Amino acid sequence: MTDAKSQLTAHLARVAIRNLLGHPRRTLLTSGAIALGLASLIFLWGFNEGLHRNMLGNFQNAIIGTLQIHRQGFFQQPDLALTIDNPQQISEALERQGITRYSQRLDTFGLAASDHTTQGVMLIGMDPLNEPKVTELESRIGIGRFLQPDESYALILGATTANNLQVRLGDEVIMIGYDRYGAMIAESFTLVGIITSGEMGLDSGMAITSLATLQEMVDLQGQVTTFVIKVDEQRLPGLVTSLNDELTGQQLEIMPWYSMFPVMKEWVTLHNGFLYLFLGIVLFIVLAGELNTLLLSMLDRTREFGILMAIGTSRRQIAFLIVVEAVTIGIIGILLGTLLGSLIILLTGTIGIDLSTLLGSTSRFYVDPLIYPQLKLDHLGITASAILLASILSGIYPAWRASLLQPVEAIRNG
Amino acid sequence: MSEANQSTIIQTRDLHKCYWVGTMPYPALHGIDLQIRSGEFAVLAGRSGSGKSTLLNIIGGLESADRGQAEVLGEDILKMGNSQRSKFRLTNIGFIFQAYNLIRVLSARENVAYVCQLQGKSKQQSLEIANHWLHEVEIGHLGYRRPDQLSGGQQQRVAVARALATEPKIILADEPTANLDSTTGRHLIELMQRLNQTLETTFLISSHDPDVKQAASRLIKLSDGQIVDSWDEIPQPPRSLEATCPLRNRPFTERLRHLFTPRRKARQQNRQRTSRHS
Repeated sequence: MTDAKSQLTAHLARVAIRNLLGHPRRTLLTSGAIALGLASLIFLWGFNEGLHRNMLGNFQNAIIGTLQIHRQGFFQQPDLALTIDNPQQISEALERQGITRYSQRLDTFGLAASDHTTQGVMLIGMDPLNEPKVTELESRIGIGRFLQPDESYALILGATTANNLQVRLGDEVIMIGYDRYGAMIAESFTLVGIITSGEMGLDSGMAITSLATLQEMVDLQGQVTTFVIKVDEQRLPGLVTSLNDELTGQQLEIMPWYSMFPVMKEWVTLHNGFLYLFLGIVLFIVLAGELNTLLLSMLDRTREFGILMAIGTSRRQIAFLIVVEAVTIGIIGILLGTLLGSLIILLTGTIGIDLSTLLGSTSRFYVDPLIYPQLKLDHLGITASAILLASILSGIYPAWRASLLQPVEAIRNG
Repeated sequence: MSEANQSTIIQTRDLHKCYWVGTMPYPALHGIDLQIRSGEFAVLAGRSGSGKSTLLNIIGGLESADRGQAEVLGEDILKMGNSQRSKFRLTNIGFIFQAYNLIRVLSARENVAYVCQLQGKSKQQSLEIANHWLHEVEIGHLGYRRPDQLSGGQQQRVAVARALATEPKIILADEPTANLDSTTGRHLIELMQRLNQTLETTFLISSHDPDVKQAASRLIKLSDGQIVDSWDEIPQPPRSLEATCPLRNRPFTERLRHLFTPRRKARQQNRQRTSRHS
């Protein structure tokens, strides 16, 4: 572009911006409407993100971790015959990938018995030292405490199970199960902790003891059924591929959380789907609002366009003026909306949004009553780009209409 | 300037223009043959509705004609496309309108500089030109004011400066004094006369202001869309409206409307219209 041409383009853009400044109320109202739409969108998306992070974080931190490794088929049918052949090899592979937050478990079915009754449970042997690196189970124990290293035959039960068995801290609980050979075994445990998470999955049907105790009980010293790993969500797909490559041929199943519990992933996808629908509706409202303003502005200035054409402004330049106006309105709206939306997220993200009146005091479906909205740059980028695109689109129609005006008719009828 | 040096700058031949209100045709120009020579200060005079503005607009390429030719500087402006006409106007024709028609959001200086920038001149150069012409029209000190901060006469001077800024060969002025008081109007006429004499720019002005007519180097009388020699002359009515206002020039949807208008009603309307002309 030559210097004169670029100066002319800049001059036309200046005229367009002067037009906007010449009608401050109209410009502010339209930009304000866009800003409010965008801010509400950013907030809603941030809240949604906070909710998902909270829910998925709680879900993973409760007991399952981000990723689990088992012997092939163990997840579908937990069986002591399906222990991992060489746990050391998996530990080394994980460490080669830079993973330090992992823990080993031994899982089996058992029957918990008290003086009053019995209940079927999933008996989990956990490593008291490494388990806090991958889950936050410790923080979910409302009564008593978590397992301690070198502690034998200590037991943690969910609140519902403890209630059904009518046992309290310090009471004896008999765990009945089968050892590696299929022979029935029974051992006495002391109840040291009760999980009061409010989640049915944790509070019911689970009994936790130390890994060493369970290994001794089922006669599987040094053997495990499960590796539980904690990594960042973004790293997960790449890590699964790397581990699959590295541990190939060992008959292992490397399962991210969403493969084990796809319903959670589907729920998040569905929730995001509603959000995108909302995004579409807001974009439509922005588009309609801006289109309406620009068309009104065009009607208001039909005469001016006629004059501009009469003194030599080409149709393309008239169209350019209108598109610049539309984009400028959009940019003002985007700046204001992004600022407002970000401020709301930063504020609510610090103090949290208390949903206890809706959810109750304890969490339900792994959602804490206090939600902290999250500000994500890619959300800002997507929403700002979408609004900018909507602004350009809303400018094209009035620009096309204006470019079809006949100078004399525009001056006469404007 | 001697008459021998004056070449034809505008020439129209058998120019016809018709306006339509719904299905009713209104002939505005009926066979205009006109020659304007370079450097003339010509005035189109006539009553309201006589076709002055229409003729000016067609010559300026702001409007199309139904029939005929309109050669400006040797080029038939009616055969040009929209983009060509824009460029032609920008280079060769300056417009002065009755209602000043300045851009509200630009200062006087920027209004004048705007057309220079459209011509591709740099911002600095355009502003210098604008200052020069604002001084020429004796409002150099008001360059930073916006149109709404200027009187009608001052706004019209800005419009004159804008028309002259591109140094066009022709200035078309449509009722330039109509919105001004008589004193301001006379000052504007003197200014235009001075510029016509010093710059040798051709002025074609439509007006029914007696002062403008008096200042004219040539008076062209228009009556019912035709040029007449004297106001006593009764112009010949169109032989038939169908010939003057051909339906084929109408948009397709309008032609469809005609198709569904009862013939008897249309004939009656046309008869009324023709008798009004005669």
